[in-house]
Formats: sequence, C-alpha cells, structure tokens
Amino acid sequence: MVRDMNFYKTPVWQDWCPGCGNYGIIAAVYKAFAELELDPSKTVVVSGIGCSGKISHFIRVNGVHTLHGRAIPFAMGIKIANPELEVVVHGGDGDLLGIGAGHFVALGRRNIDMVVIMHDNKVYGLTKGQASPTLPRGIKTKSLAKPNIQDSLNPIALALASGYTFVARAYAFESEHLKEIIKKAIKHKGAAFIDVLQPCVTFNDIHTVEYYKNRIYKLEDGGWDPLPREESEEAVMEKLLKAFEKSMEWNDRIPIGVFYINPYVPTFEERIVEKNPSYKTNYPARQVIDRNGKPIVDINVFKKLFQDYIVNVKNKGF
Amino acid sequence: MPRSEVNIIIGGQQGAGLETSMAVLSYTLARSGYGFIADREYFSNIKGRHSYTYLRISSKSIPRSLTYPVDLLAAIDAETIFTHFDDLKNNGVLIYDKASNTKKLDAIPSIEEPLRERLINKLNSLGIEPKISQLVEYLRNHRGIKVVELDFAGLLNTISRKYKLNPQQASRYVSSIVIGAVSELLGLDAEALEYGFTKYFKERRDIVVQNLEVANLTRNIIASYEINDLKLEDPLLKHSELLVVSGNDAVAIGKIIGGLRYQSYYPITPAGDESFTLEKYEKLDLDGESVSLIVIQTEDEIAAITSAIGASLTGVRSATSTSGPGFSLMVEGLSWAGMNEVPIVITYYQRGGPSTGLPTRGSQSDLLYSIFAGHGEFPRVVISSGDHLEALYDAIEAFNIAEKYQLPVIHLLDKFLANTLTSIPLPDLDNITIERGLVTSNGETYKRFNLTSTISPRAYLGSKAIMWYTGDEHDEWGHICEDPVNRVEMYSKRMKKLELIDKEIPDNKKAVYYGSKNPEVLLVGWGSVKGVALDAIEVLENQGVKAAYLHLRILWPFPKTYVESILNSIDSTVIVVEHSYMVQLADLITMNTGFRKLKRISKFTGRPIYLFELLEAINEIKMGKTEKMVLTYGA
Repeated sequence: MVRDMNFYKTPVWQDWCPGCGNYGIIAAVYKAFAELELDPSKTVVVSGIGCSGKISHFIRVNGVHTLHGRAIPFAMGIKIANPELEVVVHGGDGDLLGIGAGHFVALGRRNIDMVVIMHDNKVYGLTKGQASPTLPRGIKTKSLAKPNIQDSLNPIALALASGYTFVARAYAFESEHLKEIIKKAIKHKGAAFIDVLQPCVTFNDIHTVEYYKNRIYKLEDGGWDPLPREESEEAVMEKLLKAFEKSMEWNDRIPIGVFYINPYVPTFEERIVEKNPSYKTNYPARQVIDRNGKPIVDINVFKKLFQDYIVNVKNKGF
Repeated sequence: MPRSEVNIIIGGQQGAGLETSMAVLSYTLARSGYGFIADREYFSNIKGRHSYTYLRISSKSIPRSLTYPVDLLAAIDAETIFTHFDDLKNNGVLIYDKASNTKKLDAIPSIEEPLRERLINKLNSLGIEPKISQLVEYLRNHRGIKVVELDFAGLLNTISRKYKLNPQQASRYVSSIVIGAVSELLGLDAEALEYGFTKYFKERRDIVVQNLEVANLTRNIIASYEINDLKLEDPLLKHSELLVVSGNDAVAIGKIIGGLRYQSYYPITPAGDESFTLEKYEKLDLDGESVSLIVIQTEDEIAAITSAIGASLTGVRSATSTSGPGFSLMVEGLSWAGMNEVPIVITYYQRGGPSTGLPTRGSQSDLLYSIFAGHGEFPRVVISSGDHLEALYDAIEAFNIAEKYQLPVIHLLDKFLANTLTSIPLPDLDNITIERGLVTSNGETYKRFNLTSTISPRAYLGSKAIMWYTGDEHDEWGHICEDPVNRVEMYSKRMKKLELIDKEIPDNKKAVYYGSKNPEVLLVGWGSVKGVALDAIEVLENQGVKAAYLHLRILWPFPKTYVESILNSIDSTVIVVEHSYMVQLADLITMNTGFRKLKRISKFTGRPIYLFELLEAINEIKMGKTEKMVLTYGA
C-alpha cells in the first residue's frame, strides 16, 4: 500500500506566511515519506528554531522541536541510542550555519546515518529579516538598514569539506525534484545534506521566486553524476574536487540536484559496531537495565566488571 | 610506639610519576588492610609545575579529612622542599634527592612570584640562605627533622646499567624510589608492595620486577637509617575486599550499575576522568551477555547535553559530565529538558571559578548556580555527595529520581572528591533498586503531556506511540500552545513535581544529622565538607564540647521542613561551612527557612579545608570573636 501524503499531515494549522517556500518543502516531505511508507512511530523529525523549526508539528511522525542551532546534536543522541529510527533534521540557514555551525561540521565528521534539510532563505525570518550566513555581502534585503557587510558562506562546499557523504541542493518550488532528492537522502547510508533554496516572501526581496526561476538548472540535465566512478581514493578525490568546483557556481546560473555521493565511508554506527559488535543488535534503546527493579549488575557481575578496582585485603591483624 | 595514623606529602614536578606513586602506594596500603585517602593537588599544566599528593593513612578507619602538619615530606625536587618545609611537623622526616642540595630558590622558574616573595621573607627572617642545603641544615638542627638524603641518580644508574635503559626510561623509576622509601618508613610488607605494583602495571611483569627492584634498593638504604617513628601498627579494619577508586571512578561505577547507556562529554578538568573510566566499559560484559554503553566525545558541551537529551527520549538512561564552564554552555539545554520533562543526569564537578578560575582546584561555589541556572522556571533536583561511597550510590539514585519525576537531575560534586583516591567497601547491591517511573506502551491515543496527573506516563521514541516535543509551551500532545488557560495548567503540572518530590523522598535521603542531640556547636555543610566536619565534631566531643553536623544531600528542592525543624529545636552556635567566598548554603537556608542566625566558615583558595584550621575557626566563632572565618592554609 502506498500511503497517501495526507496521512502524514497533522491537524495543526501551518502558520507560515502565504507564499512561503516552506509550503513547497513540506509538500515534498509528505510525498517522500508517503512514497517510502515511513512508519510514523519509527520516524523522527528533529527541528531547530525559526519558521523552519515549526515543521515538526505539521508532520504526523515523531517530532522533536529543539533549540536554536541544536537540532543536529539532539538528533544524534536519538539516532545513536536507537539506530533503528529514521531521523530527519530540519533547520534554517541561520539555525544550521550560524548558531549551529559547529554541530553542522561535526555531523559531517561522524557521518551518522541521518538527513539534514536546510531551509535556505538567506534571512532570519521569524525575527524580522536580519541577514543570515548565506546572504552575500553587499546585498540589502528589505529590512536591513544598510547592505550586508559579512560574506556569505557556501553551504555545499562546507558540507563537502565537513565530510557529508550525500550533498545536494534543491529548490522549494521544484517540489517533485526536491521530493526525489529527499527520498535518495533518506535511503543514503550516512550523513546527507540538502540545501533547499527558498524565497522568504516577507523579508527577502532579492532572492525571490523570479530570481530563482531565471537561474536554477538541474545538474542531471547536464549529465552530472554525483557518484565516484569506482571505490578508490583517486576516484573519490576526483569526484569531490569536481563537486567543490561545481559548488562555486552561483549568480547567473544556480545548479540544483545531487552534487556528491560517497557510499564508501563507514557510518558512525558502523564505526561503533567495529569497536563493539553487540551494538548492532543490542544498541542502547534495546537494552533492559533491571531485573524486577534490581540492577543487572549483581555482586558477581560487579566483581568481574570492576576487578581492576578491587583489592583483596591480606589483613595483618588476622 | 607504632602509629595508628601517618600523614605524608609527596611532591615533585607534574609528570614526574606522582600519580604512579600515589596509585601503587594506595594498592599496597589497601592490600595491607589500612585505610587511606590520597588528595592530588596540581596545576593546569602537563609537565613541569609543582604537584603533590597528600596521603593520610590510618590503621583504625578510612580517613575522612586532611590536616597539618604532616609527619613525612618526600621531595622529588627542590621546589617541593621550598614549598612544603613548613608543612612538616617538628621531628618529622624529610626524604629528598641529593641533587637538590645545590638548588637555589631563584633558580627555580616554576615557583610563582607571590610564593617566591613569601619564601624569601620567611627564609630571611630565619636567617637562612635560600638554598636547599642550607634549608635542610636548618630543618635538621632547629626543627629536629630526620633527614634522609637519597642519591636518586645513583639509584637510577644502577637500574639502567642492569636493564640497559636509556635516561628517559630510567627517569620513570623515580616514582619507585618514593614508593620504596615510604613503604619502608611505614613498615609495609614486601608481599603487599609487590601486589601494589602488580595491580598497577598489570601483565607487564618486567616493569613490575624492575620497579620492585628500585623500591627494594631504596628500602635497604632507608632501613639503615633506623627511623621507627612512622611504623604503622597492625591494621584493625575488617574488610576482606576494598574498592580503590577516585571520586570520578566511583561515579562511573555507580552509573554503570544504574543502567547508564549513553554518556556524552566534552573534555574538561576535573570531570574528564569519569568519562575515560566509562570508555573502558563501552563493551559491557554483563554475565555473558555483551551490551553496548555509548560514550561520545562531542564537539562542545551544548552537543553533550542536547545529544544526551535526545538519547533519553528513546528511553535510554543518559547522562553528561562536566564542570562549571561546561555547565554554563549546557544551561539552555537544561531548560529544554525541564520544559519537556526529560530525565537526564548532569554530573557536575565544581572547580574554582569564576571564568577559567582555578581549573584544577576544588570549590563549592556553584551551589546557587546549579539550583537557579536556566531561564524560566522549571523543576530540577540537585543532589550532592559527601564521599566516594555516597557518590557511587547517588550516581544510581540520580537516574531513579530523573526517571521517576521526569526531570533533569544535577549531581553536584567537586574536584576534591573527583581526584581523591580512597578505599571504600564494596557497594551493597542488594539494597539498590532501579526505578524507571511511569512508562506506557499505549500507542493509539498517546498524549505525552497528559494533564490528568502530575507525572504523565512516558512513551519512548521508537515505541508504538507518536509524540511531539517542543521548547515552546505546549498542549498535551506536545504541540505549541500559547493559550493562557493551558499555560497555567501545563506550567503548574511541571512545577508541582517539586512538591511531590519533597513529599516522597524520605528525610534521611535529604539530609543526615550526625552527633549530639543538643549540641553547643552545630556545623552545617554539604558535599566534601562532610569528612572534615565529621572529624571536627569528633575532636570537639573528645574535648567535651557537644557538637553535631547536619549534612545536606538534596539541595533542591530544598528540604526546608526538615532543616527548619532541626534549626528551631536547638539552641546552638550554627556554623555553615563551605568551599566558597559567600558560603552560599547559609543564604539558601535563610531563603528557605527564614533562619538567619548563621555563622560562616569559608575557604576559596581551591585547596580543601583542613581539620586543624576548621577547629581553630570553630573555636574563634564559638568564643564570639567573629561571625565569619576565612581559611587559607595549604600550598
């Protein structure tokens, strides 16, 4: 049975501005979840703070609406403790690359099997339109008093440099294309990042629907293959360098699609299994820690476990 | 006359093997049946700065506090002699390296300027040239110190020749010179010493043999001095097995017993060693069944607490461990855990603040911070431990409280306890329970924040239920809700947990009263004040002064009814003792009980409160000379 996308809607009213790119993103998420038939009780959407953060309340799977910038580490704890769960992170560009940049980089280093969907509108919408880390220098969006004097960073290049093994860009109103990328990202084994370009109809009068409509093109239309041709260091390096180069393309033409996939890097979960094979079946959320209210560690287990700390006294007094 | 108690300082450069000496001597003493505590004092430095261990040994009990002066100073370097010569009792024993003789005070760059100035003044006033040979002569002639001059280089040469060691390898055997000297002076037996080395170096038998040889060479030299003042009497303790642990180890062991399965941390002194100990148990072998304990070093303390919260949402007992600067970063996450009723344990080892403060020294100055940190109001529990055994049990209890009441629990400890090595009896596991609180597996109509009871049953992420969490005020489903009526209901439901906890946790877990019923002096304290306070009331009682100590264990919700009833039922001089400037507990008591007649004893040098100075301060206050005493002893 393929689930209807409405199955994944909660009755909570979606309080984004009319015309917001988030509507395009959530529609793609519903469709992707429906087509993958994700089990709502085994799926967790973890979101940060800002307009994008509210998304977890609108999706009928487990939702954890966290702190500004911290969605990734919350998600990490959930995923590591229970690797059976499908974990999808949503955050804004300020959330993930401003206040939460340290966590964004760390997830790449770990390659935990989860998806990060970045709602990239280049402004802090909910606090009335301040410049975000993806707004280029010299640009003056509607509520800025003066043009922005901080440079923008390149989310695709940063994700590649951090070690994400699936790096993509999409556009909020190319819903079908975005849906396919979300599906691929969920199916990818490892840390997947999707930079979703999104107009902010209220505060960003530069990066509008018009702006994007005239510039975006699909990587796959030019025959771009995100996969290394083989599993060798050289092939991976070659693909990575090409992806870096491609990530520099912006202005008149903006590529969307999957830039890079590296299926050869072990996930964090696999690295744990390598250290400790029991994690595969006996991960933390599976474990029973008591027997009828008594600790599993009884005195015999205790003496074995902690023998390094136990001294047998040879009492001179006896 | 054999001794029932001996106090020793062993000092040298950080990195010179003091930790090895401390550990091997600890195992040797425990093996022989003696009680001991070993406090470690060190700078924030890897190699070169002055570091020392204070070892207190007893044949009768496990010591609880430290005091000055000491009986023996074992000095690996000249700085140790300059720094500690005044800590040594008249007629005590000094062991030192012959090579130190030519060392002058101004040639030791690691001595901090204020100490150098104090030493120059002190030595000037005694008419001593600031040179070790002169100082040692003075100690011998004017203080009756028995001086043992050892040729460290000669001893190391002997061993290097025999085993063909290069100088760097040989230098690692300095610790065994100290171990040999101390064990001979105390009269420890050879079997126990070999056991100590073997316990420390484990399978590396060749290392054990070589170290033992250095120790025994030293023992023979020491024996020729015929110093019998420090020989210990036969031990009277009755344990057949002892656990030799630091406070960090005790907590780690408690957490494992308590069912910890996810610990996240960012490296920080003095919390780090707890996570290192836990990392040894990532592959947890529980009677044939192998399970995984996840220990993750995160990118910062924000990720440490938030990932632990995430893990907790899946039903896993989760914790993080930190000190003041790290806790500061965790506070926003703490507030989220409070809002979302997440069971989480934060093990908080206090060190000297503010800011970087004294990063490797002890403090209790984060009491009010741990109780009040966080924006908004939310329930939390703050528990503290007074000694290693309490710390082990509290590490388990912290999880029980966290899960039963679905809130963050801060387990407040400090550097003194964290880094002090001691021997404790094996825990009584029969009386430990694991209480996981209300958990439901009802998936259909589950509401995470059901308002029908103060404690809404938990469902774990990954169970049949679907649930939502948010840092925003929320409705029963966990969706954002700013409605004023819902706000009052949800807010009150959370806060009422504090009343429930206060009602349900028995008085003896909240606070313990030790000593005479109607005391002349009542000491009040918490955490690592316990040991020195108990020793102080014992001394006072022996002097005919009725004394008692009220030891607070649960600091929040403050056990106001119990504390009030004690304070109102006695007519004593009440003195609050704390390692801080403010003596924050006194203010906390006044805030909660209205009781204001509190005197204060404070210490904020980063060094522990010593018994002798505490007794002096109690006496000053008892005589009405002052309301507050500030203690400062110790290098």
